[in-house]
Amino acid sequence: MKNNMMKYALIAAIATVFFIACKKDEVITPTPVEQELITTLRLTVTNNEGFNKTFIYKVENGFGSTTQGIVTKDDIVLASDKQYDVEVQLLNEKKTPSEDITEEVKAESNDHLFLFQSVPAAGSGSITFNEGNKDGNGNAFNQKIKFKAGGAGTGAVTITLKHEPTDKAAATPDAAGGETDVEAVFNVKLQ
Amino acid sequence: MNRVLVTIGVWLCIGLHYAGAQDSCNITVECRVVETHNLQPLFAVSVYIDEMKREFETDEDGRFQIANACAGTYHIHFHAAGYEHLVKEVKLEANAILRFSLAHINKELDEVVVADERTKIIIQSKSSMKRADITANSGKTLGDMLQGVNGVSVLSNGATIAKPVIHGLYGNRIIILNNGIRQEDQQWGGEHAPNIDPFLANNITVLKGASGVRYGTDAIGGVVLVEPSAVRTMQGWGGEVNLAGFSNNRMGVASAVVEHGFKYIKGLGVRLQGTFKQGGNYRIPGYWAANTGTEENNYSATVAYKRAHFGAEVFYSHFNTQLGVYRGAHTGNQADLMAAIDSDTPRIHTGFTYSIDRPMQQVQHDLLKLKLNTDNRAGAFSLVYAYQHNYRQEYDVIRSNSDKAQLNLTLNTQTMNLNFDHKAIGDFTGQAGIDGVYQENFMQDGDRLFIPNYRSPGVAVYIIERYRFRKLTLEAGLRYDYRHYEVYNPEGNNQTIVRYDFDYSNASGTIGLRHKVKPNWEWTVTLANAWRAPQANELFSAGLHHGSARIELGDKNLQPEKAYSLNFETAYNVPEKLHVELSLYTQYINDFIYLSPGADVLTIRGYFKSFNYKQTNAWLNGADASVKYNITKPLEAHLKASFLFARDIKQNDWLILMPADRISAGVKYTFNISKTFREVFAGIDGRYILRQWRIPANFDMVDYPRPPADYIVLDAEAGTTIILNGHPVYFSVTVMNALNKQYRDYLDAFRYFINQPGTNVVLRLRVPFNFYGLISKN
Repeated sequence: MKNNMMKYALIAAIATVFFIACKKDEVITPTPVEQELITTLRLTVTNNEGFNKTFIYKVENGFGSTTQGIVTKDDIVLASDKQYDVEVQLLNEKKTPSEDITEEVKAESNDHLFLFQSVPAAGSGSITFNEGNKDGNGNAFNQKIKFKAGGAGTGAVTITLKHEPTDKAAATPDAAGGETDVEAVFNVKLQ
Repeated sequence: MNRVLVTIGVWLCIGLHYAGAQDSCNITVECRVVETHNLQPLFAVSVYIDEMKREFETDEDGRFQIANACAGTYHIHFHAAGYEHLVKEVKLEANAILRFSLAHINKELDEVVVADERTKIIIQSKSSMKRADITANSGKTLGDMLQGVNGVSVLSNGATIAKPVIHGLYGNRIIILNNGIRQEDQQWGGEHAPNIDPFLANNITVLKGASGVRYGTDAIGGVVLVEPSAVRTMQGWGGEVNLAGFSNNRMGVASAVVEHGFKYIKGLGVRLQGTFKQGGNYRIPGYWAANTGTEENNYSATVAYKRAHFGAEVFYSHFNTQLGVYRGAHTGNQADLMAAIDSDTPRIHTGFTYSIDRPMQQVQHDLLKLKLNTDNRAGAFSLVYAYQHNYRQEYDVIRSNSDKAQLNLTLNTQTMNLNFDHKAIGDFTGQAGIDGVYQENFMQDGDRLFIPNYRSPGVAVYIIERYRFRKLTLEAGLRYDYRHYEVYNPEGNNQTIVRYDFDYSNASGTIGLRHKVKPNWEWTVTLANAWRAPQANELFSAGLHHGSARIELGDKNLQPEKAYSLNFETAYNVPEKLHVELSLYTQYINDFIYLSPGADVLTIRGYFKSFNYKQTNAWLNGADASVKYNITKPLEAHLKASFLFARDIKQNDWLILMPADRISAGVKYTFNISKTFREVFAGIDGRYILRQWRIPANFDMVDYPRPPADYIVLDAEAGTTIILNGHPVYFSVTVMNALNKQYRDYLDAFRYFINQPGTNVVLRLRVPFNFYGLISKN
């Protein structure tokens, strides 16, 4: 019996050593990476009268942070009753240099759709959207589009990027289905 | 030694002649096991009958009952810590009352088994699933299987991800013990199911109410014990094959176990077990649910060595699953979520497929357990060391063509337990022990943030004593836990790593009283407490929950939850006529952690609702009742009901996401056709789940839509046991949701999007095999 106890104590001792020896130092958290982060939606607006401006909508931090960081919301200031060519670009400015995500989205244009909504939909302060570019299948993509400014006034434009929409012909985010990757709301001043 | 040879010889004969030995199969035998010298009843003696391949366990009065036995000769094995291993040959011809006596070990014997009795000494409100119940539900996940236990409901994500809910509490408020080892897998959310293969289980017991003393921190709501049978160390081969096919998601499940007891190394046994499962998209009435496939590959190996006063066991198991998450549940922002909720039909149309795409989870769980035990005049000692490795990968829906997971989370846990069961001192029995734990949680470089890395050592000591006085048994226990957490949390715009240290410690206690008024009537009262330290996600989470399109924010100042529960349970039994159980419980949880709505947070995808982890005091009251009544001998009717009232005391309001009241009823007709076709049965079951109307006043701010309507679902089953060459082969057909009812359940996370699965026809086959004599031609 004494022998048994000795054996037991020995095994316990070995197990304890094993137990403690397994400590490693790899627990320090690596810097988390917000995957496929988009921080910025940039509109490049031009027309044939020499107008050339960019408007930024930016939320610095992604979902893995307790703070939203710096938020930039430009007002879209345009001349009333004019037509403009608009190109949408997406950036990840958390990286240095900043990463242009537009090319990736363009390469998968079949799986993406930009949607534009104006409040008010017509009249002063409104913008109407037409001649959006198409994806590889000839369906709507709208990464490049024409803005037609209404009469002088104020309003708002919501630009939504949908991933894997179920209906590419849809005009609203709800009808388009899929997942929203970006939802940017700009105030609009037409003067 | 000689006795063993003789016994083996007898087995040989029985093995050969067994099939011809039965005529009628309705014999009931009342058995009682006592100590040889003082004739005191022996409690928690495990009893095994070779020919039936069934296990029994004595109650506090030393009693157990063999029901529906066929006439014939049986070999009954008795195992109890500190007692000789007894094998008795018994000839059964009619109903009988038998008494067996075991002698305490006082000299070296050839074979002695010291079983793990830690889980057996318990006065607690409990329900269990025996081997037959498990077989009748084989192929289901552990969570789904436990739904049959009164007082247990399930928190699910569709048909493939299920977590057990005991008296309204789930996740980190309950503990699952897998083969005696506390399961340490990653239970960070409702979509993280326990990583356990139910085919390992021979017996599943649910302990209801706080059980902190025996099982340590977190056992607030209760404990699920998943227990395999003892490894065969008797010479020869044994095992079984289980097959199941499910029509709804065209799922096939196959599981096999092989056991061998060695001839030349006495007391050495080995068991190998493996399970394979594959299912595709499941079908809800009218539609396929996109990307809801499931795949599972599990295996385990056990080597056990049992000698006089010494035993050793090595157990290794590997669990590997891949689970698709319903594609329509993955939304970009609140507007997407609302559109998906308000859509009458699933927004994603799909056909049947076995392939699993993003979003999906892949989880592996490895468990290595080493156990040594020994006993002497003082009592029985056991030392258990376990290492668990849990690796969870989550694949989000992404833009690029990467095959990488966005989360690669590892949780490594080492535990050690040293336990001493002392020999009875007068009328006192009991145990004391030390528990140690060391845990590490880490993510991989390149992951998005989900749970910050941490490490955590802990230690605990406990003592439980039990006193028997005539028909009364009194049990009391104390435990003290200490746990340290060292967390490395990335913070601020630059995600700088900040270290936090937390120390938690607390005492737990339990007092239980059991009164066996008559052999067939007993009642139990338990007063116990348990506590739980806030877990990493409650302290630190700072991010989006993909399924619910909401941001959850942790709070570093959360205090541990402390729970106090009082359970009363009574059981009344008239053999083969009536069985009634009633359980009443009340539980008060101090600093109950819950999610409270906060400010909206702006993101690049628009505004999201945010939720903060907060604390309140909760008070849960409820009742479970069940009645089984044999209208005629073969026709049994059963009725079960569960009620729960869960209050937030500080707000004076109901708690959110608590299981609704439920009632289930059924009838089952069981008869024997012949010696070959036994226990032929056909039955029908209905369960009625009420609408959960006990919801907080601010429900509409927190959740949408309101809890789904009440529903009735019907299941039907039929089956038989066929005796083939002496082996009971089980076959059954079950039809779940027989009427293809469209319904949603409040505790299902997919209730926002799709209905519960439609009709599911399940075929089950179980083929056991057992060879005693093949090796003994000499």
